[in-house]
Amino acid sequence: MNSAYIGKLMELAEKDPDIIHLLADSGTGYDEMFKRNFPNQMYNFGIGEENMVAAAAGMASVGKKPFVFTAGAFLAYRSMEFIRDDVCFQNLNVKIVGMGSGLSWSSLGPTHHTTEDISVLRAIPNLMILSPATPRQVVACVQTAYEHDGPVYIKIGMNHEKEYFEDNYVHDIKKSDCLREGKNIAVFVTGSILEEAVKTCEMLEQDGISAKLINVTTIKPFNEKEVIDIVKEIDKVAVIEEHNIHGGLASIISETITYNGLEARVIPIGLNDTFAEGYGTYAMVRKANQLDAINIYRRMKEAYEE
Amino acid sequence: MNSEQEIKELLELRKKIFIAGYKGGMAHLASCYSSLEMIYAMYLKGILKYDRKNPKWKDRDRFILSKGHAGLALYGVMEEAGLISDEIYKSYLTENSLIGGEPCMRDSQWVEATTGSLGHGLSMGLGIAMALKMNNSPAKVYVMLGDGELEEGTVWEAIMTAPAFGVDNLIAILDCNNIQKMDFVEKTIGVPNWSAKWKSFGWDVLETDGHDMEDFKSTILSENNSGMPRLIIANTIKGKGVSIMENNPNWHFRLPGRKELKIFKEELGISDEELV
Repeated sequence: MNSAYIGKLMELAEKDPDIIHLLADSGTGYDEMFKRNFPNQMYNFGIGEENMVAAAAGMASVGKKPFVFTAGAFLAYRSMEFIRDDVCFQNLNVKIVGMGSGLSWSSLGPTHHTTEDISVLRAIPNLMILSPATPRQVVACVQTAYEHDGPVYIKIGMNHEKEYFEDNYVHDIKKSDCLREGKNIAVFVTGSILEEAVKTCEMLEQDGISAKLINVTTIKPFNEKEVIDIVKEIDKVAVIEEHNIHGGLASIISETITYNGLEARVIPIGLNDTFAEGYGTYAMVRKANQLDAINIYRRMKEAYEE
Repeated sequence: MNSEQEIKELLELRKKIFIAGYKGGMAHLASCYSSLEMIYAMYLKGILKYDRKNPKWKDRDRFILSKGHAGLALYGVMEEAGLISDEIYKSYLTENSLIGGEPCMRDSQWVEATTGSLGHGLSMGLGIAMALKMNNSPAKVYVMLGDGELEEGTVWEAIMTAPAFGVDNLIAILDCNNIQKMDFVEKTIGVPNWSAKWKSFGWDVLETDGHDMEDFKSTILSENNSGMPRLIIANTIKGKGVSIMENNPNWHFRLPGRKELKIFKEELGISDEELV
């Protein structure tokens, strides 16, 4: 995901000298590559995220297009007030890119997990929130963010996400991607956990439960109409997210259903108002939190049959 | 030294700020009065370069009031400079208020940064200064901070990084009135020693009397060959201009009671009719 991000940013930086890549000591080899190619378009602020976010707002007020890039947890939580006051309230053209989304920093524990960022940031006006699931979606979301003149937060995972999209995939902010048709249950998913959701739907299929799988990339502004249309056909909805179910995609979909006077059973599959348990590989930590495909399948089937 | 004419104009401004704050029912008067001469000098004594007809002139100097609670002083000076109307100024905290207690970009195109939460302005100013350098603009960025505000950690992130980015177009102005909301700064965080602290971070540090516009102007505009950002430590008196408020920590965020009002009226030359 990081290489997809930097690759796309380099493509944009080549065409547009106003693109500025900002880091908080958060670079990798990919960023070194950026620095070699565009030495005047990258600045490392050191370990100080708030200063970097506020400075990005200042740069944007002069017409620059800063892309701030570091751990999502340090942006969404530590820098939250700076995102709110300096970027969003002033409605400035700053892109905030949080890497290591969800549980992907599995070995480091909850200080590095980004499992409440949607809840925290979606409460801030003027902020577009994008949650790509695969490298090609990252590339497409960076393009969307670039074209949008205003604040955008993009949450991206780490590496090795499986690709489910075509090479020329284009992100449409008004459209989610239906990856699988089905009629018994609608499964909404967002972010890197898509792979587990795909496997879950395959398992459900073997049990004769036909699942429609919708990958949601635009968290805000949320396209209510898609959910409304689906819920009119299917009254069982599951939401899979590597995120607290409080305030995340499950909340957004539940709100959409109730605000529009519809009825459906919503099955939230995420962290149930808890910090994640366990350490180890990404797969191990997902399993420890019942967010691997087998556990998701069990939880979903149990709820489905209630 | 301020001229007699300037002293008169500043007294009128203090009066205007008080009337707006008193009628509105809320104002950080003491903070407004400690920074007033400096803000006045920025806009009306030729420190800031700006184009009256084009607020977004790309090479304009920027002024950020990081200690946003002195917003009524900033708006008052802006009104005096003809950048906002008297009508807007007088709308302060009325039913259809067009301005509030803190400077807000939404409310005026002349406000360069929305402030209010302390510890944001210097970082925003740093970003602006960096972007202006990228554009080879000769413009300067002035950021006024309070000394209490320096207790915010983020300020030190900006103090640390600004010299590393070589932004000699960034000038911080410290409104050093020695008082924060509850008490004297020194009683809160010990001896501040601002000059030594900022110098050790690489800043070019100068000191001035923040109420003497001539001294302030010559200090702030003196040549800076250090290649580093500059700090102007402006020694000021919180509440300057009203005897009972001067250098008294009780006045950070309050309006006078009945007995105190008499002193305000006498010393600022305000009539009963003007407060109706």
